Amino acid sequence: MQVKICHLYPEVLNLYGDRGNILCMRRRLEWRGIECTVDSLRIGDRKPLSDYDLFFVGGGQDFEQEVLLEDLRAGNGEEIKAAIADGRTFLCICGGYQMMGHYYETHEGVRCDFLGAIDLHTIGGEKRLIDNYAFRLSEESGAGTVVGFENHSGRTYLGSGVDPLGKVLRGNGNNGEDGTEGVHYKNVFGTYSHGPVLPKNPGLCDWILRSALERKYGTAQLAPLDDGFETAAHESVLQKVMNGEI
Amino acid sequence: MSKPFILQTILAAAVCKTVRRALRLRGSGGTALPGKAAMTVCKDILAVTSRGMEIIVVTGTNGKTTTCRMLEHALTSSGRECLSNKSGANLLSGVTAEITCNTDWLGRPKTHYAVIECDEGALKQVVPLIRPKVIVVTNLFRDQLDRYGEVMHTLDAIRTGIAKVPESILCLNADCSLTASLADDVPNKVVFYGMNTPVGDQKDVEISDAKYCIRCGREYRYHYHTYAHLGSFYCPNCGYKRQDPSVAVNRILGITTEGSKIEMQLDGKIHPVRVGLPAVYNLYNAAAAICAYRVFGLPEEEILGSIADVRSSFGRMENFTLGDVRIQMILVKNPAGCNQALEYVSGIGSDYNVVLCLNDRTADGHDISWIWDADFEKITQDPHARSILVSGDRAEDMQLRLKYAGAEESRITLEKDNARLLQIMKESTLPVFILPNYTSMLALRKVLSEATGGEAFWKG
Repeated sequence: MQVKICHLYPEVLNLYGDRGNILCMRRRLEWRGIECTVDSLRIGDRKPLSDYDLFFVGGGQDFEQEVLLEDLRAGNGEEIKAAIADGRTFLCICGGYQMMGHYYETHEGVRCDFLGAIDLHTIGGEKRLIDNYAFRLSEESGAGTVVGFENHSGRTYLGSGVDPLGKVLRGNGNNGEDGTEGVHYKNVFGTYSHGPVLPKNPGLCDWILRSALERKYGTAQLAPLDDGFETAAHESVLQKVMNGEI
Repeated sequence: MSKPFILQTILAAAVCKTVRRALRLRGSGGTALPGKAAMTVCKDILAVTSRGMEIIVVTGTNGKTTTCRMLEHALTSSGRECLSNKSGANLLSGVTAEITCNTDWLGRPKTHYAVIECDEGALKQVVPLIRPKVIVVTNLFRDQLDRYGEVMHTLDAIRTGIAKVPESILCLNADCSLTASLADDVPNKVVFYGMNTPVGDQKDVEISDAKYCIRCGREYRYHYHTYAHLGSFYCPNCGYKRQDPSVAVNRILGITTEGSKIEMQLDGKIHPVRVGLPAVYNLYNAAAAICAYRVFGLPEEEILGSIADVRSSFGRMENFTLGDVRIQMILVKNPAGCNQALEYVSGIGSDYNVVLCLNDRTADGHDISWIWDADFEKITQDPHARSILVSGDRAEDMQLRLKYAGAEESRITLEKDNARLLQIMKESTLPVFILPNYTSMLALRKVLSEATGGEAFWKG
């Protein structure tokens, strides 16, 4: 078995240790004897995304966003939408997650059109929502807890019928109002969680990997791993967050 | 000065000194509280207590403290008294405390010169009050992002600060495209420093804090790299490029754990220089300090000589001897600085043990995700790195990072208790490198100093 990962725009979408997610997915596949390749799509690159099983989109600085949007409009945006419709797996963090929605409207009211691949949109807020937080995944994934670090001024609102990735336990999540965090649409997993999110949340990582394997091979059995270090890191942060210590 | 104002100044200075004395009697460093107390008596007390002083301010992400140390050492070893906020308290309250405690009873400064380290975010509050003669900006990297947002916000904050003191001369790092861009937007006189020589393997850095031209958005190209996004950059589209520095490291002749030998170029003239601190980033600090010293108006020979025996500042390449064990402590706070430290340690070429300490307190930033942007693989894949200890509030996160960097779990020991950590280090048969972040450095340095008879940090 093999999973081909494509890191979208690593040169601009690379904030807050998010590349650790790729490392985590790669290792957890390799430890199970599943081959993993990691490729990247950079601004200006043109290649068929149907070659890949799993896409990673990280968060970025506002300053570099315009360069990126131009490239999406020039064709890669349509490729990404087709890959989503095709059931390919995406992990989208923060800015990468917002980018899947219809638009971002700044606090001053300037609207910036995004991909519109998922029915959601984001409104810029005055205050940045920053700190460690925790949420609980949906029932279908086994309702595990996820800990991470959120740092965003955008408030994301999901369209009706679009499922969140989880429910906020502590912190703000999508908008600090409705208790939702992230999005789960087809095989797209969107979240505000930096950290990077996957290493400390091996259950979420495996759920994402399974979705890519199931699409490709029809079935996916992931052998259990020794997650001692992962669990220790997860538990130590979860405890601090739930106790309000950080 | 009007009478009520004089009385207010006298009172504020007295409050500042009294609070500091009280804190120190209790064994506390008391670096910010005295300043806060003085400011409640007189809001802009700093403007009064710094009046008439000649001041160099150093700001930027990495290298502030060491650059200050180099400047201070040059001043004092040439017989000039100089005030400096050595404790690392570099926000408005800390700078206020440092300067206000150093006054006579009327609140007049006791020393003529000061070298002040200033936090990037606090620059706009501090410099309008102390009106420095020279401002050094060392570099800009991602750092403590949960406090500042993004690098561009930090740059904006620095620009705002500089704009308030148009008479200050700027010393800017020519090799940092972000820092160097400050020259365009401000009326200040600018002098550049940098490195005229490539360093390292010249591979493109995977994570760059400045990949795209700050002016036009096109990807930069480089004649050569030094580290991270630093080097001889140019934009093929709009022409924005590195300016030739008037103070530059021209050639590196050798780097050991004791220091470096280099050729320094000053306005075209070459000088052989020994820098008493190892690692490449200290060469940038040396160039920054020499540049600032010259534009400050003092003889360059003084600093060119004194920089050979500059002592490290607390936690930055600081040496301890614990029993028979040689320990070097290297503060790491962000990916760029951490990578440089890892590069240095893994380049030693003989066996060592390493201690990685990670806290997530307010002064560190709650967001510790940067450890995933630093190349700990340099250590885990170095056969000379024998055992790896992890410590601090977020030791479990560091442990996990090392697992994914390829370390066998058996090579890692987690020990959060500093007394026990000290005991483990004492029993080491190899030299030990400690890489702590800020508050874990303060805590560890305290136990190490006590065990080795060192000084408290505020005495430096």
